[in-house]
Amino acid sequence: MPNVTLVIDGQTVTVPAGTNIVDAARIAGIAIPVFCYHPKLKPVGMCRMCLVEVWTPKIDPATRQAVIGEDGRPVMTLMMGKLQPGCVTSVSDGMEVRTTTDRVRFAQKGQLEFLLTSHPLDCPVCDKGGECPLQNLTMQFGPSTSRFDYADKIHFEKPIRLGDLIYLDRERCILCSRCVRFQDDIAGDPVLGFDNRGRTWEIISKSDPPFDSKFSGNTTDICPVGALTTADFRFKARVWELRPTPSICPHCPVGCNISLDMRYDRLMRVMPRENDYVNEIWICDKGRFGMRFIESPERLRQPLIRKGDTLTPATWDEAIALIAEKLIAIRTHAGAAALGGLASPDLPNEDLYLFQKLFRQVLRSPNLDFCTGAPGEPAIIDLGATLGVGKGTNLSNLGAGTSVLVVGADPEEEAPLYVLRLRGIAARGGDLTIINPYPTKLDRTPARVIRPRAGAEAFVALALLKTLIEEELIAADFVTRRVQGFDELKMRLRNHSVASLCDAAGAPEDVVRSAAYAFAKADNGIIIYGRVALASGADLIDALADLALLTGHVGRPNNGVIPLIPGANARGALDMGVHPGAGKKRGLTAREMWAAAREGRLRGMIIAGMDPVRDNPAAAEALDALEFLVVQDIFLTETAQHADVVLPTASIAGREGTLTNAERRVQRFRQARIPEFNTPAGWDVAQRIARALIALGVKPTAPDGQGDGRGASRTLAKTAATTASSDQWDYAVAGDVADEIAATVHGYADTTYESLGLTRKPQWGRQPNEAIFYDGTSYENTEGVGVQIAAEADNPKATFTLRARVPPLFATNDAYPYTLLAAPRAYDGRAWSRDSKLLPRMVTPHLILNADDATALGIAPGGLVQIASEVGCAVLPAQIDRNLPRGLALMPDVDGAPLSRVQTGPLTRIAIMAHISETVGTR
Amino acid sequence: MSPLAEHIVLRDLDIENIADFDVYLQHGGYEAFRTAVTERTPADIVQMVKDSGLRGRGGAGFPTGVKWGFLPKGVYPRYLLCNCDESEPGTFNNHQIIDRNPHQLIEGIAISAYAIEANLAYIYIRGEFAAAARRLERAIAQAYARGFLGRNIFGKGYDLDIYVHRGAGAYICGEETALMESLEGKIGQPRLRPPFPAVSGLYGKPTIINNVETLTNVPMIVRHGAAWYRRFGTEKSPGTKVFSVSGHVKRPGNYEAPLGIPLRELIFSPDYCQGMRSNRNVKIIVPGGASAGWLTADDLDVTLDYEALAAKGSMLGSGGVIVLDESVSAVEVAYKMDEFFKHESCGKCTPCREGTYFLVKVLHRIMHGHGRREDIPLLHDVYNQMAGNCFCLLGESAVVPIRSALRLFPHEFEQAIAQAGNGHRKAHAVSVR
Ligand SMILES: Cc1cc2nc3c(=O)[nH]c(=O)nc-3n(C[C@H](O)[C@H](O)[C@H](O)COP(=O)(O)O)c2cc1C
Ligand code: SF4
Ligand code: SF4
Ligand code: SF4
Ligand code: FES
Repeated sequence: MPNVTLVIDGQTVTVPAGTNIVDAARIAGIAIPVFCYHPKLKPVGMCRMCLVEVWTPKIDPATRQAVIGEDGRPVMTLMMGKLQPGCVTSVSDGMEVRTTTDRVRFAQKGQLEFLLTSHPLDCPVCDKGGECPLQNLTMQFGPSTSRFDYADKIHFEKPIRLGDLIYLDRERCILCSRCVRFQDDIAGDPVLGFDNRGRTWEIISKSDPPFDSKFSGNTTDICPVGALTTADFRFKARVWELRPTPSICPHCPVGCNISLDMRYDRLMRVMPRENDYVNEIWICDKGRFGMRFIESPERLRQPLIRKGDTLTPATWDEAIALIAEKLIAIRTHAGAAALGGLASPDLPNEDLYLFQKLFRQVLRSPNLDFCTGAPGEPAIIDLGATLGVGKGTNLSNLGAGTSVLVVGADPEEEAPLYVLRLRGIAARGGDLTIINPYPTKLDRTPARVIRPRAGAEAFVALALLKTLIEEELIAADFVTRRVQGFDELKMRLRNHSVASLCDAAGAPEDVVRSAAYAFAKADNGIIIYGRVALASGADLIDALADLALLTGHVGRPNNGVIPLIPGANARGALDMGVHPGAGKKRGLTAREMWAAAREGRLRGMIIAGMDPVRDNPAAAEALDALEFLVVQDIFLTETAQHADVVLPTASIAGREGTLTNAERRVQRFRQARIPEFNTPAGWDVAQRIARALIALGVKPTAPDGQGDGRGASRTLAKTAATTASSDQWDYAVAGDVADEIAATVHGYADTTYESLGLTRKPQWGRQPNEAIFYDGTSYENTEGVGVQIAAEADNPKATFTLRARVPPLFATNDAYPYTLLAAPRAYDGRAWSRDSKLLPRMVTPHLILNADDATALGIAPGGLVQIASEVGCAVLPAQIDRNLPRGLALMPDVDGAPLSRVQTGPLTRIAIMAHISETVGTR
Repeated sequence: MSPLAEHIVLRDLDIENIADFDVYLQHGGYEAFRTAVTERTPADIVQMVKDSGLRGRGGAGFPTGVKWGFLPKGVYPRYLLCNCDESEPGTFNNHQIIDRNPHQLIEGIAISAYAIEANLAYIYIRGEFAAAARRLERAIAQAYARGFLGRNIFGKGYDLDIYVHRGAGAYICGEETALMESLEGKIGQPRLRPPFPAVSGLYGKPTIINNVETLTNVPMIVRHGAAWYRRFGTEKSPGTKVFSVSGHVKRPGNYEAPLGIPLRELIFSPDYCQGMRSNRNVKIIVPGGASAGWLTADDLDVTLDYEALAAKGSMLGSGGVIVLDESVSAVEVAYKMDEFFKHESCGKCTPCREGTYFLVKVLHRIMHGHGRREDIPLLHDVYNQMAGNCFCLLGESAVVPIRSALRLFPHEFEQAIAQAGNGHRKAHAVSVR
């Protein structure tokens, strides 16, 4: 875009054409006060706080030239003869903006006086006090006294609830519409609106339940007054008492930057921290309101040792000694292969790294997994390590020229912030294709929606591939240099037409072709796949890899694949090698471990931070067959209740560490001042066990040697397991482990604590110290934006082989005519939700059916249905969705959902019938 | 100036029952539309309206043909909106037109839609005009039945549909962009401009919006030609205007008169209002709806056209002439008018939403004998904090009554305040809740 040069308060500024005056001034370091303007929202010019004098050269209508005055300078005229709102006035060449004249000051003071006439001035009890733009701007620009009679103030009922989470104080609202615009434009949940007019104009919620959005908390950040407050923080503390601790949200693969705002040793609130690469200035409500579990009174404080039927408190020394003794015993009489470990993909890198090191090097067992082994759990097929988005990717800069395929994913439920990121890309002119067997809220984004039959997603991907081949949309140069097997792929697809593949998928051919065309022609191409894609299986994911390869959309910034693998740190779990395929010797998967345990081949286990029994009661039987079970967790989980030793650990707030997000950004979180009952971090637990074992004479092996390259990833990058070095178990702080990770784990070389602390300057749209005028209360990032590690494709020498093939079609049969799919839910009611204000929003088990199917089956909304598969049956309430395709049944994967009772795999054929004995009220 | 021999807009005064479809047809109804569609190109009509010098009667007086010329070339669909929100205090001529001469309006809409190449027109009608809206709908149905509306009109392949949409009773919905928001089913609040409606209006498409009276002129211009139209009125304000005269005149009502008629004549001529009731003296004249600057008896010789009134710091506006005699208090008139603007403020922008509220509170206490000495400078400050700073003209209009009152009748304010216990705070205690 061409540049424009203008003068603001005597300072010459050059900015891109189309910039508004407020932004241009900001670039020059001049803060024009604003209320309704927010750099992430479209300007609306409502509040009139940003009024400035705009002078432009007078143009002679005859010659169309600037009129030159006697002093030889252009004659200037005041635009429209009055002040102009800077937020909606674009800059032009030769313009002169004055922001400090008497006239401007009078207007600024005037608008503030006006705003304060209906303001209750209850700053002393207002949560916003201390970080309130209205306070701050009043101090800087406003009148010092009020000429409006206090008794004349308009009064509203004090706060009303806009749902469970957000309170609205209409007296404080300055009607800037930021909240409404955020919901409409950024979140895509248009649930807020305005009612009435004039001074009684007010914000209302239009949804049922009220303020039904997973992003509602953000409105309280950008609300320029204390009109919107959260149920979580209301009246908890004054903001100046808070000590912000930089942290990373532990709830999903996005890895939002957050701040744990502590007062002394209590968590007062969770706030977003700005990171343009990850979450911009937003977080979802799960991140904001889902951290209360760290202070739960049910947190484990002390190790427990089983004495008969009961778990009784013990000292750490007793517990560790017992563990070492038992593990050695099992290893001696049954061999190292009789030991297995499961670690949660939510755990930080340090914990996962030492966990696998304990197993591989000290116990010498390869049996490691981060899966739960539930019957419906899909295999983890990762493209992130190989074809992941290139180093330097930044979704918040992408728009026109970018094409994104979202395949088999419900970002709102799996990784909520991606909804905002993808909507942003679409809003900036990017192209979006959604391929999912059922509707999700992302469909509301302007996008091409392709709705394949469940289980047939691979055929859409193959149709896309075939279109690329047929219409010669291949990135020929890239393919020649770096891709093998193109001819073979063409052979494998030769007997299939785009039409027949689309037909197999149940997808419209023209839409598929246009998606292929848009993706191939785009400068940047990104593929995001999620839970449903994993359920669909390797055939789909291989085809997605080939799509990225044939279009050359890998190995560059803003190109590549983003797998949404369940867990906040599944990426880290893969990279650290907590996976049976990571080492030289293949270990047992979680599912294989359950079988082995039942058969007596597996005798001892350590389960860290994972609760497999909760979702898969059948696992209990396997656990009970073990000789010895150690569970390490922050709660006494159902799994822990089967343990012989339970070890408490610190929560994410009580320790330091790093997490690797879905885009392979390694991010550091700090320790908050929170009483963690002297519980050690997970890495330290592993260290204590390792040391005890070594003290009893166990000799750690040398590093494991080269991996065999099979396993989760198509060509899994070398992982910790393959290069681990130190056999010293001498880690004093998390940083020591992090340093070893940086030194040994493939790709992590740049992730030293020092480099993780670097902030990118300048951060998005922000001027030093003026942030509050623009951005609301999200924190600046002063603690590091993380380091993105390279994918294999980033290496220009790396080559890849195409693998897509046409699979058999998943089919139901007459006995089991419906396809059951587990649907991920952010509000799943699992352990994180303890004590959260989100509890009322937790999804309870139910089955979602198509309306016509329900009618045919005689099922009413809320009525009970009975479902049966080849392995079992269950009864649960029905929810009717007229937009769900026929023949598909979704069971939200939430706490208590009887998935493991009926699932035979990620896709299950089931029969459904009305459960006649009773009905329950409508939900 | 002699009164009109024949009316152009209020033809119901010349032709009995012109609201009756057959009567309208007997008097050449829809012939202009037929001529337009069968013999003229849309561009011809635009040129003709341009040549006639017709200016918008909704308030701003913008030349209608020029506005039509702003439509971007080749962008369709386009929409024509007829603004019948008529909520400006003192204005009631649109109502008479739709009530007594609806077919001429519909024909005007049809010709104008043809001229701007729109196939869809909406009449946005003030919510309170329920009965009139029904009559309009009946009239439209009659036009459909005759093939004047609908598909392939006059066999020339031109299609036009007209819909009547009732508002929900908000003055702001007469503002063109708020009207479009309302029509789209959103809350009625003005939009940011640019883009202007001609470029991006209803549903983001090129849109022309005109007042009822403006459009009702069009069939007569097309029938008799631009030169004929220019025989009425002045050089820069051609044609006639329907003045809605209310207040303390002997015979209030709608009077169609050539533009440029002296104010004195409108009020005192036996052809028009026949002078002041009880022969009291004129005190305040608000010549163009509540948004127009006040005139006094000293200004009676001003002519009622766009230029002359602008020169007086007032405006022709909607042609609602409110004439008030000495019996009224300027404070009270300012209060009443600003109370209206406060009530109608949409709330979108700070200065109008809060400023009108502030003004009304201060005026109220002055009126009720609780004024304070500092209230006069306060009022000046408050309206100055609003003036030029509002999002739309409603807020700017709210400045007009109080500024006029303070400029023309400062002593009335001083007096009211002096009577309130030497300017000191009285009875009206300040309680802090
Ligand atoms: C607050 C406000 C109210 C208005 N109300 C009306 C109205 O009721 N009728 C009308 O024709 N124009 C009204 N207008 C003017 C319209 O915005 C617009 O200028 C007019 O409809 C254009 O038609 P014209 O060019 O034929 O005058 C109003 C303007 C404002 C600012
Ligand atoms: S609640 Fe806050 S963000 Fe929403 S309109 Fe009111 S002041 Fe603005
Ligand atoms: S999007 Fe994910 S990482 Fe971000 S706040 Fe929500 S749950 Fe946490
Ligand atoms: S001036 Fe502002 S508040 Fe008043 S009507 Fe216009 S936009 Fe609404
Ligand atoms: S009008 Fe510009 S910031 Fe509100």
